[in-house]
Amino acid sequence: MLAAQLSASAAWAQQSSPPSTAAPPASESPPEPAPASDTPALSPEEMSEIEKALGSDTSTRARPSGSTSPASPTATNDSGVTPLKLPNAISSGTNFLNLSFILDMALAAFSSKEPLQGGGHDPTQNGFNLQQLELSIGSVVDPYFRFDSNIVFSQFGVEIEEAYATTLDLPANLQVRAGQFLTRFGRINSTHPHAWDFVDQPFVMSRVFGAEGNRGLGVEASWLTPLPWYVEVVGSATDAKGEATARSFFGATPERVLSPLDFQLTGAVKQFFPLSDDLSLLWGLSAAAGPNATGYRNHTSLYGTDVYVKFRPITEQSAQQLVFQAEVIYRRRQVPEDVLSDWGGYAQTVWRFSNRWATGVRYEFGTPAKTQEGRVANDPLDPEWIANRQRISASVTFWPTEFSRLRLQAATDRVGWRATPDYSAFLALEVVTGAHGAHAF
Amino acid sequence: MRSLRLFAALCAAVVCFAAAPAHAELKVVATLPDLAALAKAVGGDKVDVTSLALPTQDPHFVDAKPNLALALNRADLLIAAGLDLEIGWLPTLQVGARNNRIQTGNDGYLDASRLVNLQEVPTTQVDRSQGDVHPGGNPHYLYDPRQALAVARGIEARMSQLDGKNAATYKANLAKFTQELQAAQAGWEKRLAGLKGVPVIAYHRTTAYLQDWLGFTTIAFLEPKPGIPPNPSHVAQVLAQGKARKARMVLKEDYYPDSIAKLVASKIPAALVTLPGGTDFRGGQTYLQRMDLMVSRLEQGLTGKGE
Repeated sequence: MLAAQLSASAAWAQQSSPPSTAAPPASESPPEPAPASDTPALSPEEMSEIEKALGSDTSTRARPSGSTSPASPTATNDSGVTPLKLPNAISSGTNFLNLSFILDMALAAFSSKEPLQGGGHDPTQNGFNLQQLELSIGSVVDPYFRFDSNIVFSQFGVEIEEAYATTLDLPANLQVRAGQFLTRFGRINSTHPHAWDFVDQPFVMSRVFGAEGNRGLGVEASWLTPLPWYVEVVGSATDAKGEATARSFFGATPERVLSPLDFQLTGAVKQFFPLSDDLSLLWGLSAAAGPNATGYRNHTSLYGTDVYVKFRPITEQSAQQLVFQAEVIYRRRQVPEDVLSDWGGYAQTVWRFSNRWATGVRYEFGTPAKTQEGRVANDPLDPEWIANRQRISASVTFWPTEFSRLRLQAATDRVGWRATPDYSAFLALEVVTGAHGAHAF
Repeated sequence: MRSLRLFAALCAAVVCFAAAPAHAELKVVATLPDLAALAKAVGGDKVDVTSLALPTQDPHFVDAKPNLALALNRADLLIAAGLDLEIGWLPTLQVGARNNRIQTGNDGYLDASRLVNLQEVPTTQVDRSQGDVHPGGNPHYLYDPRQALAVARGIEARMSQLDGKNAATYKANLAKFTQELQAAQAGWEKRLAGLKGVPVIAYHRTTAYLQDWLGFTTIAFLEPKPGIPPNPSHVAQVLAQGKARKARMVLKEDYYPDSIAKLVASKIPAALVTLPGGTDFRGGQTYLQRMDLMVSRLEQGLTGKGE
């Protein structure tokens, strides 16, 4: 959904000041009505005259002189760019740039010496973990584009998670994103930890896509169909490289792009059904295909479906919400002389039982990769994964306000290739400061 | 082959939908049912009005459901309350709507807060330690019919600008609405004349415009800070204040929880008055009827007959 469009933390009101004509005071008469559609159409000659005049205008228009506002004497005078004023944390209406910082940290305890935590933002060791410090910057660029980015600081450096432009004014219900972005495969992939109901990422994501989830440099087009219910069709082409972002494809191997088939191609259909005022169903189907590194022209294809059901009574006074979310991903990889296939997924339900409290359970599973004959294969990516893995987590969340969150989570990880189950517990804190992000559904 | 045929049929269906003739009417989407009611009063049968939020919903916390984006996708005019009231959900919908007409700053976007005399505009630096503050001012201005009238005028101007053909109709509708509202307002003021100077307690900071209009005094809020739910020690303080200053009423919107408000009202004792959170626009209620209901409830509260 729009979810991917704009992660919960990275969407803000476009803060252009309203035009001075926004609303005439009551005493004034309203502006002259714009010519309505009943005005006679222009003749082709007139049109061509207009086009010609406009053409000569553009060819003689001066370049922006880059004159800067007196408030910013530091601006260089040849860029034509006025420097951006950094906003006060929550001022609105006059600033061009929205900044927000999200801090996630967790105190963790694991029974295992080597916990199998695959997500890039997961707590991974006993004691304190800095999951991430995420800086979200977003803004309208001009009437045609908006810009969104998520830059993540960790103890090991800085990483551009997302930085992309979104079109605002394409015809025919089309929208294009270009830059580095999380693909809209499934539901959870395109979201950030701030929007998750659990402290860590479902392991199917890190197993199939990598620690950071599936993202890449590329371009995406999405189309809102004119059907009477919400049907959105999404297609993207992204680079297929990155151990943490596309491991089932090229992954860490430095392959050259020689044809369009060397990109990861992703497609998805998202449908939304408002079953009633209180009950909503969002259903997605996704597929992705791209080259993998096991040999010439070997491909990986992924198929997924995701379901999100939300019950939130709004026709009566209630703070309760009940949410069910599930995703399943089927992966098929061509390897020399064989085809490997495996399944993974998760299902979770979260009950927000009061304004500030919620509790939830999550079940996850992953099967070992099987050969075409159905035997457990020697998986080139995860050689140890020779049996089923299941994990069950339970969490309790407390929100002091919508800008802070405390979460207690416990999990048992039934790893088929380990002798005993692993146990873990997390106490996580999240604070959000800066511009107020808009939440996706 | 079969799937190909199915695909062809689907394409044909989509083309049919796409080619359906557009209605001549102006499609208006309002974020709140109160705004929708004003838009309907001005637009009459020339406009098709949808409200994104229900009156039973807290307008701060609306889910950005995709079907709401669908309504925005087809809208010619979006009317928002502004002042960051919808900041948690509207921007997502605006971008997802793929409709340039209703983007902030364009002709199809009307921020109603620009039309009113604002209350509670912070004069000092604010931050979120003060709760969920609205740095631009209090956004609950439609409790005051005088502000509603200013908004209706602005809506009329914008509709006439977007749809010049029907400008005369919009003007006539506005004139009718103005006359009805001012007549009703005089009646309401007469009925509530006894409210002047009366001390009341409110749940959330929604009463700024109402008290500016009717002249009562809000002495305390059940929320310790805007958006922070009541806690025992704060409620105890409010109760003490209410008793000491002889509060006559406890006001709360119907989307806020009742138990604590009931308790405080019974202990003071004061009348508990549940204010309608908005116009029941889908149920066919008009802004005047909604205000009339609110006035009746306040009147009952004034005579000590709360709930």
